[in-house]
Amino acid sequence: MKTKKLTTIFVLILILAIAVGTYNISLSDFRLSDSNYSYLAGLTWYRSAPGLEKGFEQASLENKPIAVYFWAIWCQYCAKFQSDTLGNPQVKKILQDDYVLVAMDLDIDRDVSGKYGVSYPPYVLFLDSKGNVIERVAGAVDAGTFLPIVTQVRDQVRSK
Amino acid sequence: MITFGNQILYATLVVSAIALLGLLLKEFKKSEIFSKFVTPAILLSAGLLTFAYLLLTYYFAVSDFTYEYVWEYSSTDLPMIYKLSGTWAGQPGTYLLWVWVIFLSSAWLAITTKHSTPLERRTQIITLIIGIYFIVLTLIQTPFKSIYELPNIADMIARGDLPANFVPAAGNGLNALLVNIWMILHPPLMFIGYAGMTIPFAAAIVYLITKDEGWEELGRQWARFTWLILGMGIAVGGVWAYFILGWGGFWAWDPVETASFIPWLTLTGYLHAAALHRKNKNTFAIATPMLSAVSFILIIYAAIVVRSGLFNSVHAFGEASTGTLLLLSIGLTTLVSLGLGIKRYFEEAETAEEDRGFWNKTNVFYITLLMFVVLAFISFWGITYPVFIQITQGLKVNVASDTKNFFNVWSYPFTLILLLALGFCLNYKEPEKEKQKKTLFIVAALTILTMLPRTDNFYVLDHNSPFWVREPGIYKLIGSISVLSIFPPLIYVTASVIEYLNGYMSSTNLRVRIKGIGMTMIHIAVVLIIFGSVVSSIRTTSIERINIPIGAQGQIFDVGDGYGIRVLELSSRSLTESSSAGGTKISDVLSNPGGFSGENIQVKGKVVEVLKTQTETPPITYTAYIRLDDGTGSIWAATQSAEPISIEEGSTRSAKGFLMSQFKSSSINRTFDLVIFSRPDDVGEAAGTESGNYNVQSVKLEVYQGNNKIGSGTAEYLQGKGGSGTFPMVSPSLGLLAGDVYVIFQGTGGGSIPLTLKIIPAVDLAWIGIILFAVGIILIMSAKTKARGTG
Repeated sequence: MKTKKLTTIFVLILILAIAVGTYNISLSDFRLSDSNYSYLAGLTWYRSAPGLEKGFEQASLENKPIAVYFWAIWCQYCAKFQSDTLGNPQVKKILQDDYVLVAMDLDIDRDVSGKYGVSYPPYVLFLDSKGNVIERVAGAVDAGTFLPIVTQVRDQVRSK
Repeated sequence: MITFGNQILYATLVVSAIALLGLLLKEFKKSEIFSKFVTPAILLSAGLLTFAYLLLTYYFAVSDFTYEYVWEYSSTDLPMIYKLSGTWAGQPGTYLLWVWVIFLSSAWLAITTKHSTPLERRTQIITLIIGIYFIVLTLIQTPFKSIYELPNIADMIARGDLPANFVPAAGNGLNALLVNIWMILHPPLMFIGYAGMTIPFAAAIVYLITKDEGWEELGRQWARFTWLILGMGIAVGGVWAYFILGWGGFWAWDPVETASFIPWLTLTGYLHAAALHRKNKNTFAIATPMLSAVSFILIIYAAIVVRSGLFNSVHAFGEASTGTLLLLSIGLTTLVSLGLGIKRYFEEAETAEEDRGFWNKTNVFYITLLMFVVLAFISFWGITYPVFIQITQGLKVNVASDTKNFFNVWSYPFTLILLLALGFCLNYKEPEKEKQKKTLFIVAALTILTMLPRTDNFYVLDHNSPFWVREPGIYKLIGSISVLSIFPPLIYVTASVIEYLNGYMSSTNLRVRIKGIGMTMIHIAVVLIIFGSVVSSIRTTSIERINIPIGAQGQIFDVGDGYGIRVLELSSRSLTESSSAGGTKISDVLSNPGGFSGENIQVKGKVVEVLKTQTETPPITYTAYIRLDDGTGSIWAATQSAEPISIEEGSTRSAKGFLMSQFKSSSINRTFDLVIFSRPDDVGEAAGTESGNYNVQSVKLEVYQGNNKIGSGTAEYLQGKGGSGTFPMVSPSLGLLAGDVYVIFQGTGGGSIPLTLKIIPAVDLAWIGIILFAVGIILIMSAKTKARGTG
């Protein structure tokens, strides 16, 4: 009985250590939310439905198209899409300079995703300042596919 | 007005309360007044619930859309089998299934035991309390809710926008991901498994309170049954993920599959503890009932995870309003079980066995039990604390850079210990203890040595993954253990199992031999499943983001790494019945409106006129009238929604629904000759030549390695309500070890065919293991032996 008690206590301490350790690691290393979603491909995004409203204002002031990026934490393709496609230097530069960026968390911003018929991440929606859909990019496309689209959408909006 | 189905549920509530009352009077007042009603009342409750379930099935069969649940989860154009499986597609239906099975097990208890002993009577009391609780849950989220009880429908009828006998023409349909044979099986297996745990739990609680003997035997077959059904439910989920979802694997630590795996682990621990407990009732006298209680609690937790929507998962099919009640029941059962367990612990302390040193069977066996608990805890913790942080601090966190790394890293070392303990315990014999200890030490030493080699990326974590560099130190440390270290324990277990089988086969008793074969199968299955999952997940070759131009059909397209793919044919079809899916010419409707009245019709055309209106007082409802022109004529369609509707003139739309003539709208003050009423979802953007709710694109292809064809088949992509499903091509052409050629097709887009190619080895071993699990436990259940050692 003594042995069992000791093993139980040992295992309980072990479990507790793992629990506390992982909890703290997550809080320090794997935070997925901050105020501006700057972790998404190193770009600064507006967020959620109010962010989209602000995005519309800024877009009409500056005559820029809006890129709405739908993502989710559990979406592993999103991580790849962010690092390889959005993070591609050419793509990133165009997005940074010529676009108004809005990020939508599919788990939270269900109303917006429902309204635009977005059901899975990653998904990028290109809107003009009036909210009309210019282009849709579904899935984790590579930079080679994505770059011509961001260029074309930008030029289309500018020429208006 | 209470619907017929709900009347049945209320009746069941009353009848089962009578049964409970009878048992309680007998228990506390020694009164027999109601005793003779108990068994009939329980049988009647089970019968009523059977009838209720059949009634629901009937509503689905005839597509009675006056019930919200049927409207939500069925559609007239679905094939019959999918209409029927709609009964368990959502929360209300699964509650009904759950409570039905609880009462079936309660009826079994009543018939087989007649409540002749206090243990049986008390177990029935707890079973009935749980059953009644679930009837209440079912009533709160009832599948028998009429659409006329829905506020917006009632409003529209009151305003005259809908006729009083309004019946929606078409249902909402089933989520596209659920439209396949595996998903017909998966939910009922899970919920029957959940329900099967009720009696072992009830018996364990009674034992903890009263020390009534025979509790383990009473719940034994139910516990095994639950283990089988729940295990098969999880396995079918894995099959679904592999063959339908296109995960390229059968296990991805998705919160919901993990949630069901947790009680299955503790239940496995329970079955092991019970095996020793039944031989000597002082062995694991507290651990055994506690494992049973914990399994039950974790099952309710799994039910919460499945439906809460809090856990980010592919399973987020619906949100529950009864979540708080389930949480409450978890809190209550946890408090009761823990309290009883602690109380028993202090009572038991004096009568403890004497300490025989560390190395004896009970102690090592106890480590096995602890390992099940630790593994269960790791899974529990990994899905729970991110949600906890999200709720308490409003922060989203991940458990690791790549979610599955958390579970793999922490589970791996404990799996090794579990395997070593298993190999040791299977053949433990007191006289050979020293020799067996020596073998264990050698294997343990080999295990540690084989952790060290620097092999070609054969580690616990994938060093080539983009996530690897971002993992913290402890993950990198454990992640760098070579997976070669799994082989010494696996070989050790295999050898032990063979020796164990020999021991059983020397028995002359047929039942004992059958039981031995069953247990051997299960433990061999453990080896196969662990081998299959480790090798398949680590050695999979994956080529992603292949884009084959549609024009390149017929040629072998080089996709890299020496592989080539030849696309033979690209086609698309509608899964649903063509009669309603094809769409009707508007001129046909205009020329003969009477022929379409009350029917589900679908038209498609260009939007030539849009009128929008909304109610001025809350709840605000938006209505859009659109005139569709398909070239043969034009017709009005109307749709309503709680959100603004965005439909532009010039776009091509389809409308599907119920045809109404001489419809007068007071809000825009206009009368329409004919108008088609559609749900917002059914006013879709009409896409090209496709039609219907569920469209399948399929691509027939061949996979080459160099010039050799290594696999061929069809990969499909289904688009429908709620998203899309990928039906990958799985060609098991490489054999048992080398595995499957696996191609995922994501649906055509941008003039190309996007594909992912995977070569997945050894996965078949896991499937074989799952089959052995099932056959093994069925053999053990069939070879029921009398409990030894107890009176």
